[in-house]
Amino acid sequence: MSEAPDLSEAEAFAAEHALGVLNARERAEAEARMAREPAFAADVEAWRSRLTPMLDNIEPVPAPEGLWPRIERLLPANMGGGAAPANDNSASLMNKVRFWRNTAVGGFALAAASLAGVMVQVNQPPVVVEKQVPVAPQGQLLSASVVSQEGSRVQPLFTAAYDPDRKALIVTSLLPEGSDRDKVHELWLIAGQDNPKSLGLVESGKAKIIALPTELMAKMSEGAALAVSIEPPGGSKNPNGPSGPVIGVGKLSRL
Amino acid sequence: MAAAATTNDSLSPLMTRIANGEREALRQLYQATSAKLFGVCLRILSDREESEDVLQDVYVTIWRRADRFDGARASVMTWVSTIARNRAIDRLRARGPMAYAEPVDELEIPDGAESAEALLSAADDRSRLAGCMSELDDRTQSVIRTAFFEGVTYEALAKRMDAPLGTVKSWIRRGLAKLKGCLQS
Repeated sequence: MSEAPDLSEAEAFAAEHALGVLNARERAEAEARMAREPAFAADVEAWRSRLTPMLDNIEPVPAPEGLWPRIERLLPANMGGGAAPANDNSASLMNKVRFWRNTAVGGFALAAASLAGVMVQVNQPPVVVEKQVPVAPQGQLLSASVVSQEGSRVQPLFTAAYDPDRKALIVTSLLPEGSDRDKVHELWLIAGQDNPKSLGLVESGKAKIIALPTELMAKMSEGAALAVSIEPPGGSKNPNGPSGPVIGVGKLSRL
Repeated sequence: MAAAATTNDSLSPLMTRIANGEREALRQLYQATSAKLFGVCLRILSDREESEDVLQDVYVTIWRRADRFDGARASVMTWVSTIARNRAIDRLRARGPMAYAEPVDELEIPDGAESAEALLSAADDRSRLAGCMSELDDRTQSVIRTAFFEGVTYEALAKRMDAPLGTVKSWIRRGLAKLKGCLQS
């Protein structure tokens, strides 16, 4: 091959990013530049297209049977049939939940430590230790990890994320799918001295986006807590709160 | 290359449906592409369990970003393969510096049979790239392949090859410039 002209500095950098030889700092720089400079982003894309055919010689390997159901479970809830627009929005929320869910499981000790003040024993009524006057109640992203405790054993049960922009709470059950078939899990908001407010039922192993009315949004603040109780199908028969045992509680905190 | 891919891209209509939130469309894309992408993950990670995790992540990413797919810039297969490769490399990098301690070997890519879903244009691209790669000297070919399949940084490549950073950098930059020239001719 005869001598090829050198790539411009910008294109060389784009090519290096597409190839994958940049270190973490340079990669971050390249990503930032792609976001700012469409021409640079196009260079990176062009180089990806040039290099990706290297993957074409790789032998396909059938993915394991159970993988698709696992993926489907991770997709945003209630999005079937194109009924809801903008899956990017819902999906990025779900992604946040996945992050928290991983944190709840992986960074478990940390989550347990930060929630030590609000854990309750099975069958005991939930007690919210701290009571705070909400400041800018609708303005901040909040998350909670709902955990159970038996003796020293702390178990994350649910993660929840509140997004004020979406006026929604996204709840992910960390329990195995299909557990507790003849019972349901009901989610409660416990704020101040009010009776617990039902936020609806959550299926084991599923994620759910719960739209919040304004009155409940006003109560979503740091220091309020989420609790989960075990109820008969259809939910609690008690109008003022859970009728079954409360299995876990978690305080809402700012991210 | 991208333009040719668009006109032939039977998977392209699925992307619009996925962007509209149609799970069934994602399932169809999964059926058409998962074996290929699983192969890509396995090639990069050499670990089945990690590859399954990454593959799962790849399809959730596709679902989330489907609206950013631009058929004029890349074929669906290129787009999803890039996501799979990037995610697998992210995972490889997360294993830490030990992942880069291995010497450069096994650089040969096994020649797979034509996959059913491979597009005609993709086959053209592949043979053109393979042809152009073969015109590079062996060392340059091997560093480019290692970087591509393992996301190995310049620093790590230099260490592995026991060569100065600037030298490795110029091998790769010159190699890439030649590749581009060859692909355009």
